[in-house]
Amino acid sequence: MTDTILLVEDNADDEKLTLRALQMNNTLNPVIIARDGAEALELLLGTEAQPFGLVLLDLRLPKVHGLTVLQRMRADPRTRLTPVVILTSSKEEADLVSGYAMGVNSYIRKPVDFHRFTEAVAKVGMYWLMLNEVPPPMSAPALAAAQP
Amino acid sequence: MQTYPTRPQAAPLALNVPLEQQLRERTAELEAARAELVDFAYSISHDLRAPLRSIVGFAKVIEEDYADRVDAEGRDALHRVRAAARKMAEQLDDMLKLSRVSRSELTREPVDLGDLAREIATELEAAAPRPGVVFDIAPGLVGWGDRRLLALLLQNLLGNAWKFTSAHASARIEIGVTSAAGEPAYFVRDDGAGFDMADARRLFNPFQRLHGTAEFPGTGIGLAIVRRIVQRHGGRVWAEGALEKGATFYFTLPGARIETQAPVREAALT
Repeated sequence: MTDTILLVEDNADDEKLTLRALQMNNTLNPVIIARDGAEALELLLGTEAQPFGLVLLDLRLPKVHGLTVLQRMRADPRTRLTPVVILTSSKEEADLVSGYAMGVNSYIRKPVDFHRFTEAVAKVGMYWLMLNEVPPPMSAPALAAAQP
Repeated sequence: MQTYPTRPQAAPLALNVPLEQQLRERTAELEAARAELVDFAYSISHDLRAPLRSIVGFAKVIEEDYADRVDAEGRDALHRVRAAARKMAEQLDDMLKLSRVSRSELTREPVDLGDLAREIATELEAAAPRPGVVFDIAPGLVGWGDRRLLALLLQNLLGNAWKFTSAHASARIEIGVTSAAGEPAYFVRDDGAGFDMADARRLFNPFQRLHGTAEFPGTGIGLAIVRRIVQRHGGRVWAEGALEKGATFYFTLPGARIETQAPVREAALT
């Protein structure tokens, strides 16, 4: 299993703060950054796609919206089961409902307070990369067979 | 048998068409304003919080990484930067709460305000027990309105009564109904810090505070939310009070029936 984190974030400040938060929590997992939705899709599902242990997904992204990224991920057997945590500014009801309806694993609103932000990132990393068990990588036919 | 025309026969089109057109235009205008409000709230929620996170975050970075090069005065300045940004974030959240009241759908049904008040009182007591506080809730208080919004209204009014009596060892918070100008007026009354009647109208403005935050915490959005909820029900809201003699908040819910055995008294109108 891979332990690489994909951080999908267009805001340079938020990117820096999220990386700092991960560092402060001694999260040593490699982090790859996508700065818009199209870049994220290329890394996840493109010709040179690689598996990720966790995707931290912002919603308001240039080119392709975060919810569309999520939708495409869930439609593809390679990323259908990858843990995705929406990490965004808003907790508007519409975003929450759409996110969960499309199969997001968690929805975190980035706290303004940096201490709480660090804490949130630490908990997300700890939970999804250390505590949580994920199914082994499945081939497309095996996954199709597992569908109800 | 004589028949009566159901509408004036003279120039019905000349009168009706512009009216219908006006109505259509007005409806379109309202719809546009509502859509704008939704967009605006979405934008506040998404776009205005991000820069605040940067301000707070990077002030913290300076504090942590450059501790040896920032003196006490510098640390105080950074602390103020962070506190101000946090306060603004709180105010943005409050503006969103207020706009959510305007945007949410209104479903009216008979709502037992007494039950809601008892639930809220229990929550307040559980969160921070104050044995000296007595809640006096009139029996059978039924209002006609949206359950979720009326719960939010009572949360704000009871929360305020709880907060503004906190400097007193004992307090009494009364929830009941009276009659104002021939209409049932529900009220929440406390015997706490009160306010000067000269400020009675300003009370309901967003972020209007009459007490220092050191004395009573809060951003001042609660009563603006209360007013918005009452307005959405087509009712009126007003307040009576005196400094250190408590406050009473009244609201009406048109279409409400008084179904209570509580004595009905005439409230003085402001």
